[in-house]
Amino acid sequence: MRSRKQLRPQPQAAREDVIVFAVSGFKLAIAAGAVKEIRGMEDLHPFTLGGISAQIAKLQFTLERNGTTYFVVDAAQHFQLPPSHPSRVMVLRNVPTGVLVDSTDRIMEISALHALPPAFTHAERGWYRGLAVVSGQVVPVVNHGAFLNRAELETLRAGLERVRGVVTV
Amino acid sequence: MIAEGDKSYVLFPLGEKRFALPAETVTELARPDSVQTFPHRTPLLTGVLVRRGRIVPVCDVAQVLVGPAAPPRRFYLIANCKIGARQELTAVPVTGECELASAALVPLTGKEPPYISGLLTLGNETVEIVALEKLICVEATA
Repeated sequence: MRSRKQLRPQPQAAREDVIVFAVSGFKLAIAAGAVKEIRGMEDLHPFTLGGISAQIAKLQFTLERNGTTYFVVDAAQHFQLPPSHPSRVMVLRNVPTGVLVDSTDRIMEISALHALPPAFTHAERGWYRGLAVVSGQVVPVVNHGAFLNRAELETLRAGLERVRGVVTV
Repeated sequence: MIAEGDKSYVLFPLGEKRFALPAETVTELARPDSVQTFPHRTPLLTGVLVRRGRIVPVCDVAQVLVGPAAPPRRFYLIANCKIGARQELTAVPVTGECELASAALVPLTGKEPPYISGLLTLGNETVEIVALEKLICVEATA
């Protein structure tokens, strides 16, 4: 006999601080611990690197911070949304990735993370760690490692090394 | 009167036509609630509902069963659906009130799409029984 737990997976009941942000009219959240800095659009350099720019179209800019090159991804393109009007960059921690978003809202605590229902079968399974319910509103919590995956980062590192010599990412 | 061997089905309208789900899979008929959307790429899914603390995906089967001209959906039929190894609630938007009926199965003609699991004859009306999980899987891989 199957247990109730097998039929109905319970949300992970770990409390977590998240930053709520907006992209193309949607509200999403990211683990606060995954974000190193939130900043304006200044000091961004357009990213143009031959075939790589075409391969990773969502990659729009680079940002130099403390000797590290951050690759800045347009969140609207990442989530395959209509073009938006980004005004902020979330610089991620432990990965050389920045994310262009329309706005950042607030830091808040979520008490549970619901698994994405298995009926969702496409790219969103990689985009999200799960869903949070905040005051009755469902907010996806993004998988910050998916903005640029390992293969994309390797491609970028190799491309930049070819152009610049050596770069640390 | 229910004949021996008859099973119960929930009949739901999508515009002019009615379809059926096995009654034992249906958990409730919900009034319109706010469907919440977020970015995703899965066909047919229009968002999610929050029902008693659970997140229920909304699967707009009318797009497949009757095409884009279906009238506005008025209610949500919430049914259990086996997706992969798990039973999950799924909300199906329907265009009117539903009815519980009992009838014997009529053999399939062989021309039905794979997500039609059986046929019911109710007077002059033939009602297709929808295999929700097959419909979702067919569309997801289309």
